[in-house]
Formats: sequence, structure tokens, C-alpha cells
Amino acid sequence: MNPYQTYDARILEVKDLTSREKLFTLRFLDPEVEAKFDFRPGQFVIVDIRGFGEFPISICSSPTRRGYFQLCIRKVGRMTKFVHKMKEGDVVGIRGPYGNGFPMEKMEGSNLILVAGGLGMAPLRSVLWYAIDTGKYENVWLLYGTKAYEDILFRDEIIHLLKHGEAMNCSVKLAYEVESPSCIYLERGFSDRVCKGVVTDLFRGEEFDVENTYALICGPPVMYKFVIRELLDRKLSPGRIYMTLERRMRCGIGKCGHCIVGTSTSIKYVCKDGPVFTYWDALSTRGLI
Amino acid sequence: MRYIKLSSKNFGRFFKSLEAWGTLYAPVKRGCIYSFQEVHDPGEMALDYNRTMLPPKKFFFRPKEAILRLKNGRWEEEVEAEPMVLFGLHPCDIHGLKILDKVYLDEPADPYYKSRREKTLIIGISCMPDEYCFCKSLGTHFAMDGFDLFLHELPDGWLVRIGSVRGHEIAWENGELFEEVTDEDLANFKEFEEKRSKAFQKELPQEGLADMLDLAYNSPVWKKYAEICLACGNCNMVCPTCRCYEVCDRWVDAYKAVRERRYDSCFMENHGLVAGGHNFRPTRLDRFRHRYYCKSYFDPSAGYNCVGCGRCDEFCPAKIEHVKVLEEVRGSLQ
Repeated sequence: MNPYQTYDARILEVKDLTSREKLFTLRFLDPEVEAKFDFRPGQFVIVDIRGFGEFPISICSSPTRRGYFQLCIRKVGRMTKFVHKMKEGDVVGIRGPYGNGFPMEKMEGSNLILVAGGLGMAPLRSVLWYAIDTGKYENVWLLYGTKAYEDILFRDEIIHLLKHGEAMNCSVKLAYEVESPSCIYLERGFSDRVCKGVVTDLFRGEEFDVENTYALICGPPVMYKFVIRELLDRKLSPGRIYMTLERRMRCGIGKCGHCIVGTSTSIKYVCKDGPVFTYWDALSTRGLI
Repeated sequence: MRYIKLSSKNFGRFFKSLEAWGTLYAPVKRGCIYSFQEVHDPGEMALDYNRTMLPPKKFFFRPKEAILRLKNGRWEEEVEAEPMVLFGLHPCDIHGLKILDKVYLDEPADPYYKSRREKTLIIGISCMPDEYCFCKSLGTHFAMDGFDLFLHELPDGWLVRIGSVRGHEIAWENGELFEEVTDEDLANFKEFEEKRSKAFQKELPQEGLADMLDLAYNSPVWKKYAEICLACGNCNMVCPTCRCYEVCDRWVDAYKAVRERRYDSCFMENHGLVAGGHNFRPTRLDRFRHRYYCKSYFDPSAGYNCVGCGRCDEFCPAKIEHVKVLEEVRGSLQ
């Protein structure tokens, strides 16, 4: 079987998340492919717009919800601009899933701290719903840093979890940078959980059982260093810190070489060895974060 | 390993017999450079060549190739592989192919590379090093496997090592061309190898190399050379182990498109660029260092990603020497 061949998937729904991001709900046309398609939170697929090119994108839905998968796509370049013009019923090519994903089984029974910055919410949403749906995790905290109220991805879900998360053992905290009436309203409603600032501000006053907690981080490259410092300050072991990384992935299967990071003693392919790495990996592989 | 002898007088017939196995490609001289080209006559070959400009990777991983063709909205595979005989590969190039194999045949295998590789016969040939070769210090100056036949030069012919079942078949089918190896041949073989071993002028000491380079990440030497480097990517193109590729779709007409891939170079600015404009290797220094680290990566099961063929030195327009850079970086630690 040619690993570069893609499978047809139909767009079931297109939803505007923000002015830049859209949520695409897809399903494979071939029932056999659909039945076989399984993934772990944190894995990605390669989207193929035939005749125009391919791009990697992380899956933002949870594997617990069968029959479809979702991709949150930000309009940033030529390809994504093209995708944003697509409508319900259109067909794209998909290959994957690729990458290692988060070790969900290993973390069962523990607390999860999800730290998301901006578009980093997309892969972590998969973890979030997986954890809530399976109920196999102690407590789930979501610390989400966003630019403005208008940029909050999955805003309805986030607000729903702000209101009713307790019942699902899920606690959401939100930091925004640009003030707006909507943010002030949110802050008034959830004064203990919404604040103006950056995502690391959400750690203030937060204590957790380091023996029984895993942290999962995804965000812009600049965020990792600061978030990791907060976690290490609270004595969380580097092996319990998982990060999912972005690189230019052309093939997704460790051939094309674009996502190689590291030095003479340790080289990693982000597409194949990652995109999920622990902080130990970052300590032994230069250039990872 | 089985050893047989091919005497000079039988070489022509042996060469002709290979045509039954596929199209023959061998080093020929083109102007002032050598290149692997289709040959029909032993006289066309330049078996005393030092190195070709493009390594034999070009036969398996093409400089530019169509991988999928879009017809009626579906991608169709484009796997065409002709049986080939690559004649006259040096040990470093055989090692280079083994490193490429590790990447391209690793599951899921690249179907294009794999089908070509499976249909190709590799016939190695002994060589004498020139001023650019440093394969000996990397252990890639002698091929123990990765070939079907390997020809070692003797005063009156060739000592042939048989490295695969297909190699046995060739020897079997042409039994009358080969002789048993005599003690004199063995003495000549030994003498040649000793002479060759002493002829290396360049050396890359391996002791602690990978760690020393890693520790010297912030060495000013990287900066010094990054400023000299023209970032042309020549070294990537001619390297037998560089195999980065870029993909793009191209419309043939309104109904047909092809998905093509071509060699890419980590010296190009967009190599580490992601959507939104963030570049993980924004400066030439980052990219220069990255290539050296990629080549010097030590894989416990396969060794370094460099085979010491000397192509990057010979074809570098800025005359940057691989060994010298690494030695200086290592030296800058003290």
C-alpha cells in the first residue's frame, strides 16, 4: 500500500470558531476506511487538497466520539485559505493518523493539567473530551491562555465547562490579554477562574499532587519555557510533563526530513517520534523547544 | 562470503553478461567530473574515478519525480522501476545507500525507493583515496554487505567477493568466466588493501565526536563558517545520505495534476518554516549547524550519517571542509 495515498473524506459540517479558525467535521466515504480509522488524542492527519498540496493538522475531536473526526484549521497560508472556502459536502483527501499521541492509558487514574495557548487548544480538546467521556481520570484542569474573548476556541464548550465542569471533574481557568466587555462579564461571573494575563498567571495559587498528576502542554513555541518553569517550580517530574510540538511536516512518516530536531547525540523526528514529547526528551534533544 | 577471481581477459564477457540483469549504469567521465551514466561498452567506463558528482542515490531517490498522478479526481500511483545494474560503486557509496535504506525502507516503506532498490544489482569496486576522502576514519572504507558483487583490483584481474544470492546466481550462470582464488591473488589483495589504508590523507577522529560537538553547540566556529557559507545547498545535493525532499502539486491541464517531490536542502530558509511564518531555524547559523549535526549524528545501529566520500568538500563553492569544521568546533571546546 502506498503510504502517500490519501482517502476521501466528506466535510459534514463547517463551523466558524473565530474570524480565523473554522471547525471541520469529516467522515471517510469508504465505510471500511471509516471503520478502521482510530486515533489517540495528540495525533495528526495530513489533509490533501488534490492538485494544490498537503498540510498536517492535529485532530481536535476525541476518539471516544465515533463516526466523525474534527479538524480546527486556522487561515494562515495558501492551503488553509483554500480549505476555508470549502463547504459542507466537499471532499478532501486524508491520510494518517500519524505521530505518537498522548499516552492516555498510562495516565489513567491521575490528574491531568492541560495547558493550552491559542491554537494549542485544538489538540488538547481531544484529550479534554477523551478524559471527560471515559471518566478514567481523577481531575482534569484546563488552563487556557488566549488573546481576546473573540479568539477563544470552542467558546461555547469552554463556557459550558466553566459553568458545569465540576460535575464532570473538570475545572477550567481562562486568561485573556485584551480587555473587552465580554471578558469583563466572564471575569465577573467566574472571578476565581477568569483573569487578565497570560497562561502562567493561571498557575497562581494552584497546588497539585505531584505524585499523581500529569501536565500536557500545547501552545506557541514561546510558551513552553515559561509553563515548564511553573510546573518544575511545583516539583512536577519532567517525565510527567508532556508537550506536543509543531514542525513543518511534509510526509508524516519520517522520510522527508523537515521535522528533524536535535544534535549529534540525539536526533528526533517530530512526526514519528513525536509530536508528543516529555520534558526529559527536551532536556536530551536540543532544539525541541 | 565466497571469493572468486575474474581475470582481465574475461572482464568484457562478464560485463556483457550483466546486461541480462538490467540497464547498466557505471561511472563515466564528463568534462572534468564523473557521473553515473548508462553504458554499453566497458570502454565507456572510467573505473579509476575518484567520485561522481551525484551519488548513486539519484537512481532510487530521484532529484525530481512524480509520485502521484491525479486523474478523474483520484490519485494514481506512479511506481515505475526498471531493472538496473549499478556498476562500480565505491564502498562509501554502498554505505550511503545503507543509510538511505534505513530511512526509506523503514515501515511504512517508500514504495518508489523500495521497488527501484529491489530491482537493482549493486556491483562495487575498490578504489584509492584522494585528498578529499575520509571514509576510513568513519569505518565506511570497506563494504561488508550491501552489494551483490564486489570487485577488488588485482594486477591481472579482479578478486570478487559475492555478497548476495543474486551475486551467487551471476557467478553460477557465468561459471566459465571465473577461477578459483590462488595464494598469489590473496597476497596481492592484502598488499592492495594495506597500500590503500596508508593512502588516506584526511582523518576525522571519532573519539567522543558526537558528544564533543553537542557540547560545542555555542562555539564561535559555527558562526565563523556560517558567514563563509553561501547557503547554496550544493553539499545537500551531492551528499549520498542527504534525503530531504519537498513536495508540490502541479497542474498538467485542467483535469490532470501531478504530485511531485524534489530534493530539498536544509540550507534553504523555508526548510524549518511553519504556517503563520514561524521559522524554527531562522538564521544561516542555525541551518549550517543543523546540517553538521544531522551528518554527525551517531546512530548506535548504523553509525554516523556521513560516509566520508568528500563530495561536500569537493563541490563546495566556498571551499568549506567538513572535517576541518568539525575539528575546529571540537577544538574550540578547550
